Amino acid sequence: MEFSLTHKEHKPLQVNPIKHSQPMGATLAFLGVKDCMPLMHGAQGCASYTKVFFTRHFNEPIAVRNTSVSDITAVLDGGDYSILMAIENIQSKEKNIKPSMIGLHTTGLTETKGDDVRGVGMHIEIPYVFVNTPDYEGGMDSGWALTVTAMIEQLTLSATDVKSNKLVLLPHLSMQPIEVEKIKALCEDFGFETYALPDLSTSLDGYWEEAQGKLSNGGITVEEIRSLATCATVISIGQSMKKSALALQKKNPAIEHLHFDHLMGLDSNDNFVAQLMKIRHTQPKPLIKRWRARLQDAMLDSHFLIGSSHFVITGEPDMLVGMCALIRSVGGTIEAAVSTTFSDALHTIEAENVFVGDLEDARRFFDKVDMVISNFHAERILHSYHDTALVIRGFPNYEELGNQLKNDQLYEGSTYFLFEIANALRKVKHEH
Amino acid sequence: MVSRAKIKELMNESACSHSKDKKPGEGCDKPKPGLAAGGCAFDGAQISLFPYADAVHLVHGPQTCLGASWETRETKTSFTGRDHTQMGFTTGITTNDVIFGGDKRLASSIDYVMEHYKPEAIFVYSTCVTALVGDDIDMTCKLGSEKYSVPIVPVHAAGFVGSKNLGSRLAGEAVLEHLIGTKEPEFTTAYDINLIGDYNVTGDMWQYLPLFEKIGIRVLSSMSGDGRVGDIRTAHRAKLNVIVCAKSLITLTRKMQEQYAIPWISVSFYGKRDTSFAIREIVTALGCPELMARAEAVIAEAEAELETALIPYRKMFAGKKAVLNTGGNKAWSIASGLQDLGIEVVATSVAKSTQDDIDKAREYLGENGVLMTKPASEQGKIIDSTGAHILLAGGRSLYTAIKKKISFIDVNQEKKTSYGGYGGLLNLAEDLKYAFKNPVFANVGKPAPWEV
Repeated sequence: MEFSLTHKEHKPLQVNPIKHSQPMGATLAFLGVKDCMPLMHGAQGCASYTKVFFTRHFNEPIAVRNTSVSDITAVLDGGDYSILMAIENIQSKEKNIKPSMIGLHTTGLTETKGDDVRGVGMHIEIPYVFVNTPDYEGGMDSGWALTVTAMIEQLTLSATDVKSNKLVLLPHLSMQPIEVEKIKALCEDFGFETYALPDLSTSLDGYWEEAQGKLSNGGITVEEIRSLATCATVISIGQSMKKSALALQKKNPAIEHLHFDHLMGLDSNDNFVAQLMKIRHTQPKPLIKRWRARLQDAMLDSHFLIGSSHFVITGEPDMLVGMCALIRSVGGTIEAAVSTTFSDALHTIEAENVFVGDLEDARRFFDKVDMVISNFHAERILHSYHDTALVIRGFPNYEELGNQLKNDQLYEGSTYFLFEIANALRKVKHEH
Repeated sequence: MVSRAKIKELMNESACSHSKDKKPGEGCDKPKPGLAAGGCAFDGAQISLFPYADAVHLVHGPQTCLGASWETRETKTSFTGRDHTQMGFTTGITTNDVIFGGDKRLASSIDYVMEHYKPEAIFVYSTCVTALVGDDIDMTCKLGSEKYSVPIVPVHAAGFVGSKNLGSRLAGEAVLEHLIGTKEPEFTTAYDINLIGDYNVTGDMWQYLPLFEKIGIRVLSSMSGDGRVGDIRTAHRAKLNVIVCAKSLITLTRKMQEQYAIPWISVSFYGKRDTSFAIREIVTALGCPELMARAEAVIAEAEAELETALIPYRKMFAGKKAVLNTGGNKAWSIASGLQDLGIEVVATSVAKSTQDDIDKAREYLGENGVLMTKPASEQGKIIDSTGAHILLAGGRSLYTAIKKKISFIDVNQEKKTSYGGYGGLLNLAEDLKYAFKNPVFANVGKPAPWEV
């Protein structure tokens, strides 16, 4: 079978899917807002699956509620009943729960019946953000991005002035909490007052505390989202986040928009740091320079192993683009880059095959490669390929621990990533 | 399509102990907006059927239904062919299918599956969206069955019809309607049973099946742990239905009693006493004195073997007290296991239990045992007043263990080993041994230097 990069599906079904749904991306985005109550509007299974999925990936309690649409309400209700009843029931059962915001996201079921989720908002006193995320459209990455856009459009107040050193990052879905934290820290090193929307770095970063989250535990506050239009700079990372940045610019045309497809490898990070230097008219801190030199060294150290190796990589488009660029920069051959959904950014990938598909498709290339970089589901399949290494990245990673602290971004994370894959390759290539 | 009459019938199961306290027609609880956190009917149907590894499970719906649920359960199989249980198949419908209907996509998907995977059967699951837009799944499956001469079974358990429990019942209906009674077994014995409701999670069934073999009990078919579609088709020839720890499939066994005159019993294989009791129940129901005698011999041998293996653990666990905070039948089944190991269970939670479960918990814990109705607020005090050494609970209770500096086991966490049968008790003992020895709960809660 020939694979090509197109919008069209090449078969009627998915076998061993890697794609995840829009509402799940929306839930995760809302979990990056402090004290938010993500409320999924659909049958109870959607939220239950989502909760288990992220609980196992992050090893943290996941605060998501649902409106439990039944076969009767599916036909008779326009959304008002089940959404308002859900909020009432939660508040009457848990008296001390005070959400800062309700993050309502729809599902395939409630989109098919066409609920007016905007209208319901008029009857809700708590700040309310709605987003239409049918799971028969897009994927987890678009659900995340649509939610960020919705929060900006519905919460952020328009402004005309900007604060020259205020900056907001719009990270793509696949960035783990520590990655957001590291990028924030780098911007802060340049003297920026830095925010991230959403901010998983303070909510799902895996820290221990007494209180168990009935609401999102940390993240950016609703007040901070309201005042984001006074940022001088918005930085979108990942093609999927461009539209969200444009939505913020609409709130204040004076905001400067910087876009990066990814922050992996030397080139993209040189570009990133150069842009920050230009805005702040300053040199990077010594440690940033030091990490660049370490990345250079890692590239040289790992180029032989990686440069003689072949890869299959699967995942969300924005993650794929970054990983492929980094691996290509040290000479790795990418036999197949298999994406969950279509994105224009996929055209930039240098690989033998780039296409939208599933693990059944990806498996066709497993014989030819030394390493597969994929999610948890590739592990069992690879049991029958003894000479192929696996590095797990992307959602979900059900079994490994510490997923929220895996950093592949910037000079620092790229360095660790190169060493991790080179060491994994060594085991299958030289130990026989 | 699934009819409202069928759902009503399933929700009012006469053989179910829950129905005793309800007014006529009231039936099982419907999920309430905002409060229900559990799985949906589709989830329940999948759990009940997915262990058929020789069948392909094709989910006709949008991305969430299968994308977030495949390869999440450790149901083991001895099937030597391709294990379809740990694979995911979904039509992953898109906007076009919602507008124009997804029947064509489903038919092509069935063709694809038959061409590439040649399974013994296909289960096709309808989901909220495909049920709502009215895809004619029955017809597509019927045409597919005729075309390929394998059972293609429609499972009508869209998420919005109700809870996980109802979904299991609907899966039972699908099996009863489309599979059971469609094939004759190669041979039968007087001791043929069907196992209903054990999904062989972490290999639970394999803890007790070798004993069955020794006694001479033959498992004709299973719904559905380590099951084969070919076998469940012959289930109507069994002499007895044995439900394992599952209330949801009572409707199936009741109907099989009505249609095929197969009696049923309900048993559990957690802990020594329950396992022995379960075996005795089965052989008594099969009614053969010779079989009963063999069972007694096997039980005696297995119990003696277990007792010997448990000696070092019993020494280690002497005088230990446990507080148990978990739901449903685990409230007494784990308690029973702990007691078998010589641990005193001072309290268990009955917050989410049925009356049957509460009665059983009382029976196991005795008069002095505390049955907690508000475990979150009670368990800390009970640990203090009884001097309990270990808390077995869900992750939310971790802080209580840290505050009280006692050992902890997360009983809701995905288990990797089986606690079933006699052998499972040794696994539980091993886990407890490490839990008692582990200082982490005392260590981790120490105050930070800036807090002292």
